[in-house]
Amino acid sequence: MNAVASSLSDATLNAIKALLGDEQVLLDKASLEHYGRDWTTAYDPAPAAILLPRTIAEVQAVVQLANREGLALVPSGGRTGLSGGAVATNAELVVALDKINHIDNFNALDRTVDCGAGVITEQLQNYAREQGLLYPVDFASSGSSQIGGNIATNAGGIQVIRYGMTRDWVAGLKVVTGTGELLDLNCGLMKNNAGYDLRQLFIGAEGTLGIIVEATMKLTRPPKDLNVLVLGVQEFAAIMQVLEVFQQKIDLTAFEFFSEKALQKVVERCELPRPFESATEYYALLEFETLTEGTLDEVMALFEHCVEQGWVIDGVISQSETQARNLWRLREDISETISHWTPYKNDISTRVSKIPEFLIEVEQVVSEHYPDFEIIWFGHIGDGNVHLNILKPETLDREEFLRQCSRVSQWVFEIVQRYGGSISAEHGVGLLKKDYLGYSRSEAEIAYMKAIKAVFDPNNIMNPGKIF
Amino acid sequence: MKILVAVKRVADANVKVRAKADGSAADLANVKMAINPFCEIAVEEAVRLKEKGVATEVVVVSMGDKACQEQIRTALALGADRGIHVETDVDLQPLAIAKMLKAIVDKESSELIILGKQSIDGDNNQTGQMLAALAGIPQGTFASEVVIEDGKAAVTREIDGGLQTISLSLPAVVTTDLRLNEPRYASLPNIMKAKRKPLDVVSPADLGVDPAPGVTTLKVEAPAERQAGIIVESVEELVDKLKNEAKVI
Repeated sequence: MNAVASSLSDATLNAIKALLGDEQVLLDKASLEHYGRDWTTAYDPAPAAILLPRTIAEVQAVVQLANREGLALVPSGGRTGLSGGAVATNAELVVALDKINHIDNFNALDRTVDCGAGVITEQLQNYAREQGLLYPVDFASSGSSQIGGNIATNAGGIQVIRYGMTRDWVAGLKVVTGTGELLDLNCGLMKNNAGYDLRQLFIGAEGTLGIIVEATMKLTRPPKDLNVLVLGVQEFAAIMQVLEVFQQKIDLTAFEFFSEKALQKVVERCELPRPFESATEYYALLEFETLTEGTLDEVMALFEHCVEQGWVIDGVISQSETQARNLWRLREDISETISHWTPYKNDISTRVSKIPEFLIEVEQVVSEHYPDFEIIWFGHIGDGNVHLNILKPETLDREEFLRQCSRVSQWVFEIVQRYGGSISAEHGVGLLKKDYLGYSRSEAEIAYMKAIKAVFDPNNIMNPGKIF
Repeated sequence: MKILVAVKRVADANVKVRAKADGSAADLANVKMAINPFCEIAVEEAVRLKEKGVATEVVVVSMGDKACQEQIRTALALGADRGIHVETDVDLQPLAIAKMLKAIVDKESSELIILGKQSIDGDNNQTGQMLAALAGIPQGTFASEVVIEDGKAAVTREIDGGLQTISLSLPAVVTTDLRLNEPRYASLPNIMKAKRKPLDVVSPADLGVDPAPGVTTLKVEAPAERQAGIIVESVEELVDKLKNEAKVI
């Protein structure tokens, strides 16, 4: 093994190895780089060591040792986060939960299953499918992300409008707090009003209060016959009107949008057919469950209504699963397609009804100061979440682009604040957005957050420096 | 020129189909159904020929129970002009289908008949060939390009190791391969218009054909499950296993 000088003393390292076994402690350069960073590329990883505990007791032992020695810990799942929440830049010990990956105690009546924190999202999805059920939280990184990380970041994704966030699927949680104590929270109960629901504090805490080691996850009935609709609209405000009328009649599983600019790039680079010939400024992608034959008639009637009102110009509906998948790709492949232009990305939300005005304001401020910037919008608009992407102009070098974008962030967050929105809809705060937390949270709120952290993690060893 | 296209209602290509517990057939209860992908390509080709002004009318036909009308409506939404549904609950096989198509071709005086090369459920790859034989007209199978010029169809065929281009006098049967074209989506305005396009329902008896099957399915079973891989400890062990267990070296 290609060992490098570690900032840990020999005594500490030996103590860790005695707890976990030599094999479970990685010190080579490749592992330190691999486990030291997430999908956020802005930071250079510099962890002291990577620990791979195999049991909950081992996690507790590591946390207790870290308390005694004053060592900082970074809990680590699939590291697909986009805010630097799982990045170790400061000689921390990375505690990777990869090996705590059991799936057991499935209960068909409760419709729950216990998962180790290291279970990959897709494994849980497949497991549920084998039982004839569904784990509905799904996003592009589900093949790498882990359940523990999903919970720690309260991951969202493409079906939030129907199924909610990860939070809604956690029936029970086992966590090792910053003091090394094991808490068994809520134990899979549907109803439990006996005191504070501490489980909720650990969901979305980005590993700053403790380490999630096991969760009881809820499963549900899989949807029947999903159909996909892509509608072309000229005015952004019309998308919201379409959403309103469809939601009155149909249980949507997704309501996404993207702009013509985004579509052009995806069609060109992924060689996908356009949904229809007419080009419109924006597109809405709707997915719904076809429960009865009446559903399709209802959808046709709604479409006709939207056309009569002048909101919708054209539209298609999937006639097969293959078509449904190809239509979804028009939206899902955007992120990868535009990565070619090293885009500046921002994940923000406002109340659904405020989105149109919000978008216009952001566009105005960006085009006023940087007319060369190309803005690509897409997102899960049905839940108020939009992804703002600005493509780097070819002529601008990366450094200068990033510098200009940090000014854009400032303006965008000021607008977010005025709209009472969130500076991070689903990606968390981590390192990337901690300087901007004040735009979404009051001073008093942040003070309470810090006080809560001090209760669960009195020595500030759990993912220090993240969120605030 | 009048074109006749046939579409078959099959289980969606992305559905994992299971055999029924008694092994009598595939279990299609609650399975999403769609136009057979090769038939979809046939519809697209016919519609493109009409858009180019080569064809004057595209007639789409499907055979089977009432639910087949869904697939006819989809083809009408894609641009076909009118539909014919041969309604029957009998399990239809290629020969019966070819005989009924022959009757329709005679009645409609179709000059070009475009069919999928095979259906993804039956996998027979017989109907087009049988129809050409019954009607006594030329056939161009596995087409990846079709050009109509001077009353002839130039069909480029995908054959082993290359392409073959043949010239057919019309009327003729063409069966489609995957690369012929990329079918469009059915647009919602066209789906609405399709509801008003004519759809005639006829019976096999109307066509003078007895659709009774000549082949009986004895058994349907799932393929053997692949065994999980193993991790070997050393090259020696790998060589030993390849030699003595897999017997490949």
